[in-house]
Amino acid sequence: MSTADPVDGPVVFDPADFGAIPTSKELRRWMRKVRRGKADRSVWQQFEDIYVVIFALAMLGATGGNVVLNLNDRSAGCTTASCGWLLDTVPLILVPLLVSGMLRVLLSIGPVSASRATGFWLLATPVDRASLLRPSYRLVMVGAVVVGALAAVVGWALFGANWSTVGEAAVLTTVVLLCTACVTVWAQQTGARSRWALRAADGLLVLAAVPALLLAVRPREEGAAASVVLGLSTVPASEPFLSAAEVRLLVISAVALLVAVALVVFTARSLDKLSRQSVVAGGELLAGIAGAAITLDVSLLADVVAGRHWRQVGRVKSRRGRGSRGVAMIHREFLRVLRWPRRLVIGFALLVVPYAVAGTGYDVLVPIVAGLAGFIAVRPLMDGLRSVCRSIGLVRALGMDLRELRVIMSVVPGAFAALWAALATPALGSPAVAFAVAVGMLTGAVRQASARPPSYSGPLVASPMGAIPPGLFSTPIRGFDLLLLCLAPVLLGLSGTWVVAIPAAVCLILFAVNPKQA
Amino acid sequence: MSKAAPRLAVKGLRHLYAERPVIEDLTFTLRAGQAIALVGPNGAGKTTVLKCIVGSAEPAAGQILLDGLPIDERVEVVRRDVASLLDDLDFFPDLSAAEHLDLLARAHGNAEPEDLVDTLLDDVGLLAAADQLPGSLSSGQRRRLALATALVRPRKLLVLDEPEQRLDTAGVTWLAERLVEEKKSGTSILFASHDTTLVDAVADHTVALTPLP
Ligand SMILES: Nc1ncnc2c1ncn2[C@@H]1O[C@H](COP(=O)(O)OP(=O)(O)O)[C@@H](O)[C@H]1O
Ligand SMILES: [Mg+2]
Repeated sequence: MSTADPVDGPVVFDPADFGAIPTSKELRRWMRKVRRGKADRSVWQQFEDIYVVIFALAMLGATGGNVVLNLNDRSAGCTTASCGWLLDTVPLILVPLLVSGMLRVLLSIGPVSASRATGFWLLATPVDRASLLRPSYRLVMVGAVVVGALAAVVGWALFGANWSTVGEAAVLTTVVLLCTACVTVWAQQTGARSRWALRAADGLLVLAAVPALLLAVRPREEGAAASVVLGLSTVPASEPFLSAAEVRLLVISAVALLVAVALVVFTARSLDKLSRQSVVAGGELLAGIAGAAITLDVSLLADVVAGRHWRQVGRVKSRRGRGSRGVAMIHREFLRVLRWPRRLVIGFALLVVPYAVAGTGYDVLVPIVAGLAGFIAVRPLMDGLRSVCRSIGLVRALGMDLRELRVIMSVVPGAFAALWAALATPALGSPAVAFAVAVGMLTGAVRQASARPPSYSGPLVASPMGAIPPGLFSTPIRGFDLLLLCLAPVLLGLSGTWVVAIPAAVCLILFAVNPKQA
Repeated sequence: MSKAAPRLAVKGLRHLYAERPVIEDLTFTLRAGQAIALVGPNGAGKTTVLKCIVGSAEPAAGQILLDGLPIDERVEVVRRDVASLLDDLDFFPDLSAAEHLDLLARAHGNAEPEDLVDTLLDDVGLLAAADQLPGSLSSGQRRRLALATALVRPRKLLVLDEPEQRLDTAGVTWLAERLVEEKKSGTSILFASHDTTLVDAVADHTVALTPLP
């Protein structure tokens, strides 16, 4: 009967019929070609990106230059005791802080990560997993090196070490961070290891807080405030080429570097032990975004962390609202903030930062450092704003327009910012500066939280990471531009009127403009 | 002859994606208490029509009138009268199902929504899951919560995109009954659907769309 059909019986699946499995290199080359083809604009056509980058560079240059000038002015009256004390304390704060931050950030993105699409389309194929993940791994390692070197150079140079110490500190810090990054990749393999690593991160945070607290409460001796030095000028130029101590440190650095390189190579071998689920961090939130590009978008990263937290919590005790319309929304925001008290505790704990910096005597640094710490403290309270900016469907359901909603949802974080800055006023020096800091941290955080999620359906820009939506490159500094703008009068030493007027104007303009919708 | 303006009037609607027309010269009117179903294969442009109506897509030509006035989501009355459920709804990750409904009712000016919220949770079968966060709901339960968000607020026009998505059979039956009740209370309904029983039970008219070449 079935003679017409040459194939009788069930179809047999034979892998041999399908030819060789492609190497990940071939696959990547092909993906890159396809992605390049999608891009229809060059990076330089992106006005928004260029504006933000130039603006940030100009502000950073002006601020940084001003800070260095100020510090140099004071270098004359350094008492060795106070300089030495500082140099002994700073590493005790900086290194645990860096390691702890590194652990947290890296574990929250994976650290080895792939987009959901890659996870679905590529990692499910028999193509060698380790080599598919290697670019992401390399990016993590390079990131650790850059952060370590930058933080060490800035940290030690500012606090008065001489150049050879700065160099050695940079090498050692970099090595420590590189090892930390390797540990996170190792911890990524199982959930239990990740939890232990997170616990270690918390422990290190406490460890860093102790010397910071000591610094904050240390009585400021008369004259000590003006007694700090950039160090470079006080190092006698006529020292022997290499002192014994320097030789020792160089040897230690070389050995540490060797260890780190060995560890990096060794860890790279274990990449194929990573599960697909652990690599595709954040699940549905990352649906569209290209693997490495996610690290550029701080807001998305924060969404991923929060999303994961609440999925684990799963169930809460529902609380009734109060009032209607705006009042109800504000009341709900208040309840929401209390729902994750850990964030509030960390937020208030960050108050130690301006006091610690004031304790070192670097008064010029206090406003900018306080602004940054305040930004970090207030940003997690913006989850509500973040949710509505991510979904126009939600805005429609709430029946309000986004501008109105943004004002309402900033009330509770705004109150927190005001309280925070008020509590930091003794360190900041004057209420006007505290006002500038409060407005700067609030407007910066609001601007960052209201970023639209990247959309791949619009125009795309060619980049080394493939075609990405325009604006993605400016997202890491988004928000910090407003913070700097608000603090500019303080940093540039303008009069009290400007110190209040500019932040007030920034605040009014920010809340008056209509945010772009997703 | 002159009656009051229809609840919704769409005249000569045209929409382009990257120069390619997806909707060409679409015209229909929807009266108070009536329901119109948009039907057609995937890619026919049903979602696009609904997006133009709720204001998240810009028509290339044509007019959309709500009670005789051009529809514009920037106008408060429009936001108050049009309740919609499209695929772009996301939830607050840290608010429970009950808290979402409580917040939405209050945002629309209902200062005492407790009873309404409880009834609605019962209606959509989420009473047991009232305290759960959206991330821990099953996809069908999330869909039910989404439907509830459109029903917890005042509305004159309901815009729904494939409301039967992910619902079980009992859920679709409930939805059909509920939408018929909505019509009786004067609400107009415009919905896209692939479910013939839902369309037959609810729609007074159907508008058939076909994918343009
Ligand atoms: N952002 C977009 N860019 C380009 N084409 C789109 C976009 N969104 C939808 N389309 C296309 O428009 C057509 C209609 O889509 P849609 O309205 O979603 O159809 P339906 O809801 O009827 O399935 C489809 O061919 C779809 O591929
Ligand atoms: Mg559709």
